[in-house]
Amino acid sequence: MTGLWAVAIKELRQIRRDRRTLTILVFVPTFFLFLYGYALNFDIRHVSLAVQDRDGTPESRALVADFARSAYFDVVAAPESDRQIDALVDRGTARAVLVIPVGFARTLGEGGSPAVQVLIDGDNANTATTVLGYVTALLQSASFGATGERPHAALVSVEPRVWYNPELRSTVFLVPGLIAFISMITAVISTALSIVREKERGTMEQVRMAPVSTTAFVAGKTLPYLVLSQAGALAIIAAAMVFFDLPMRGNWLALFVAITLFLIGALGTGLFISTVADTQDVAFQAAAIVALLPTLILSGFIFPLSSMPVVLQWISALVPARYFLVALRGIVLKGLGLEFLWPSLAAMGIYALAVYALSAVRLARQ
Amino acid sequence: MSTTHAIVVDKLSRMFGAFRAVDAISFDVARGEVFGFLGANGAGKSTTIRMLCGLLEPSSGRAEVDGVDVGRDPEGVKRRIGYMSQKFSLYERLTVDENIRFSAGLYGLTGARLADRRAFALEMGGLKGKERVLARDLPGGWRQRLALGCALLHEPRIVFLDEPTGGVDPVSRREFWRLIDGLSRQGTTVLVTTHYLDEAERCDRVAIMHAGRLAALGTVAKLKSTFDTRPIVEVRAANPVQAMTALDAMPSVEKTSLFGTTVHAVLRGQETTAEELSRALAEKGVHVEAIDPVLPSLEDVFLDVIDRAEEAGAA
Amino acid sequence: MIGRIRTLVWKEFLELRRTPQLLRLVLVAPVLQLAMLGYAATTDVQHVPIVVVDGDRSPASRQLLETFAASPYFDVVGERMAPSAIDDDLERGRAWLAVLVPPRFGDDLARARVRGTAGPSIQVIADGTDANSSGVALSYVQGLVGQYATVVAGPAARGAPQLDGRVRVWFNPDLESRNFMVPGVLAVLLLVVTANLTSMAIVRERETGTLDQLNVTPITRSEIILGKLLPYSLVGLVDVVLVIAIAVLWFQVPLRGSVALLFLSSLVYLVCTLGLGLLVSTMSSTQQQAMMTATFFFLVPMIYLSGFIFPIENMPTVIQWVTFVIPLRYFLVIVRGIFLKGTGMAVLWPSFVALAVWGVAVVVLAVARSSKRA
Repeated sequence: MTGLWAVAIKELRQIRRDRRTLTILVFVPTFFLFLYGYALNFDIRHVSLAVQDRDGTPESRALVADFARSAYFDVVAAPESDRQIDALVDRGTARAVLVIPVGFARTLGEGGSPAVQVLIDGDNANTATTVLGYVTALLQSASFGATGERPHAALVSVEPRVWYNPELRSTVFLVPGLIAFISMITAVISTALSIVREKERGTMEQVRMAPVSTTAFVAGKTLPYLVLSQAGALAIIAAAMVFFDLPMRGNWLALFVAITLFLIGALGTGLFISTVADTQDVAFQAAAIVALLPTLILSGFIFPLSSMPVVLQWISALVPARYFLVALRGIVLKGLGLEFLWPSLAAMGIYALAVYALSAVRLARQ
Repeated sequence: MSTTHAIVVDKLSRMFGAFRAVDAISFDVARGEVFGFLGANGAGKSTTIRMLCGLLEPSSGRAEVDGVDVGRDPEGVKRRIGYMSQKFSLYERLTVDENIRFSAGLYGLTGARLADRRAFALEMGGLKGKERVLARDLPGGWRQRLALGCALLHEPRIVFLDEPTGGVDPVSRREFWRLIDGLSRQGTTVLVTTHYLDEAERCDRVAIMHAGRLAALGTVAKLKSTFDTRPIVEVRAANPVQAMTALDAMPSVEKTSLFGTTVHAVLRGQETTAEELSRALAEKGVHVEAIDPVLPSLEDVFLDVIDRAEEAGAA
Repeated sequence: MIGRIRTLVWKEFLELRRTPQLLRLVLVAPVLQLAMLGYAATTDVQHVPIVVVDGDRSPASRQLLETFAASPYFDVVGERMAPSAIDDDLERGRAWLAVLVPPRFGDDLARARVRGTAGPSIQVIADGTDANSSGVALSYVQGLVGQYATVVAGPAARGAPQLDGRVRVWFNPDLESRNFMVPGVLAVLLLVVTANLTSMAIVRERETGTLDQLNVTPITRSEIILGKLLPYSLVGLVDVVLVIAIAVLWFQVPLRGSVALLFLSSLVYLVCTLGLGLLVSTMSSTQQQAMMTATFFFLVPMIYLSGFIFPIENMPTVIQWVTFVIPLRYFLVIVRGIFLKGTGMAVLWPSFVALAVWGVAVVVLAVARSSKRA
């Protein structure tokens, strides 16, 4: 035990002397929350729209006005030729183009259904799908200015209710993801590099000669980072509660347990990398590949797991952030208790055990 | 300033924040001289060397190396010197030969000159047959000689060696000093820092640094001459600590220090004889086994200089 | 000058060759990553697990629920007898949505059809914890129900004039998000791999003391930076070729524009990412510090704020300004433009210029920071 403390205190001293790392571990997570909390959302508003009104009648102008009035579209240009339309879309000046053909008002007056043309830039499929939805809805409900007739009442309507996050605010779902992402990276990088550095400098040999067991050494190395990362994670949640009205519906103790389990797994991942990598640059690349990108992309943080091919869903089962997100969203947003959380917590526990076991095997072999 | 000197240093200082690492030191080094820098860790030796090599900017004062102002033209200095740091900085992932070729490439050595100097470095370091060994697999002594070889490839007229023998076995150390003597015979100026006193004995002149200041400077013989009027006796006693306390209380003894299991006592004058001391100690109940006058060693000088510097600092 | 740079480049390659672990990671990892992430990084919302409660059990309600079962967007994972039973499904995350058809749905629908009045409404309960996916799923529900209503209404309902919207989607007619995401992943991967590589390059030498050894030689600062930049550019270019090949051959992302332009812009982008790594390296005193700085102050903010995932036009104005200093932003416009739109220099030149300016600036900054004297 004394060995453990000796190593832990040495590591803490080293961190304290390195001001920048300390700042990164403790304050940057919260700073990120602010930056991303305000910056990131999927809500699509103010889509830039170009309008070519070839009809030029009160009816056609009324339709354009409907688009302009809606919160979804900003009319940014009135191209005169097809060439201009091409250019606008190519440059990305306009994401959608509305073309009202000649004879629009006449067909409408005859009781017909005039055709209007809509072009949508499909490069970002997600945005395009949403824009398509807006366009369809606006066309269906268009008031046609003077004619004043409205389409018939909906035969079947949908009455949506959203639980846990009624306004579907992005922040509420981003915060747990950010905590997972930031904690994972700090934990992996800090342990992986600090151990490989000792290997490179040969100080690892000294430690082995000292009456400190490998377990105590590893525990001592990771303990300070565990505590710092815990502080960082809790700071994010507190800041999100104060500034972004994140509800905290569940039990703080459960939250603490989930964070700790996840961090232990993340630190273990760093440890494992350090047993594989011989130099710090290798460790860095490995950490980016094992921790950074999968946590961002394969955890369900941003991209829904259900849409991925089955094989990838299996692979995502190896990403601890996936379980952490379920647990975190469950605790913070749903207020769930242990009876619901145990599968995620157990999965994180198993992951942690597995990486420590693997590392122990590798350390023993060296 | 004179061109007969390889290095001229005038009131050179370097601050790190509020900490004065080097405090207005002045000295000069003649061409072909082996100049030793002696001092405890943190005394300012490495900082001084790093300023002279153009690696650190002086906070004040000036220094000329081979006639070039270090503060104004650090790059000019770099072309004229060789430098070897205490880490024996080699590229671990490169072989012996690749390390040599790399250094040669940086100094633009090509063709016959490259072949010539490469042969020299291999020969000097005793590295023949080891060309393809990775630097990280070399034992300390070999690494040290390879690092020196790399620093000498471009035949610099002045060489700075920062603790070149740290962590190296005694045989390699002796061999290394033979190389340094050889350099000096060929007219190369060598400025070397060390905390091995036996190495300092081999220098033409020695500067002792303490707390950023130059506490003493001169040839070893001159430094030892301070003991001409203050003889040293070596007291061998059953209980050296008891003997030290007793000696310290005597008016004829200036100071004492522990040398292994013996005590060295610096006497205030030449009047006091060994017999008198022996008697005085016996009266105080100290059992003396032997008491002999000894010639001052550099260690005596070093301790004496540090003592005086500290007294001066305290006063 | 040329000789010294050549010596540095030679040494750098030797070191790389003697670190096979690193070389393997740098060359193989991006390929594997792109192969995986190319599949994963899709914002399409599909196979959303739903539970249904049919409170009516009429032919009409069954027909409605059939549409859900048949849709690729939804997987019906269960049918519950009572509305109260869905709580558990949503809490455990078994289902993201619950669709509740009220009793007498079929009767109300038939009456509304005859009278032309508003018909019954079905209740949809969504788990809002993943706000984005839920929002998209809800809009799918609206769409499905709307389709259902049109089918049920039949031609008889065409009382009022309707607009016939003829929508065409350009560049990506099937709205495949993969075509959009794969070029993005390519850009992000290059950033991560190459910036990481150089961020360690100078600190490593500082830590081992060889930087001091370099600094006492007549080598200049720009020679040191160039000597690092050149070899890693070559490694980066190999990565570029590999990832572009995967994107085109494996993912069949249409490459509509000029291949030469794609390589040229990738090269400019590499100068940015490698230069960024070198700048980080000159600012750090240990490798750990370099890695933290690179990841937290550069890589992560760049990935989030570049428009890779989150559209820039949705960001607050102040943050949109911030995105102008992110090279990834410009490169994303360029790769997506070249891949999907087949656009050329005539359209892309502003992004190209921005990228080039950024690259030169960061390298100059790295040289300026890399003092040979402390």
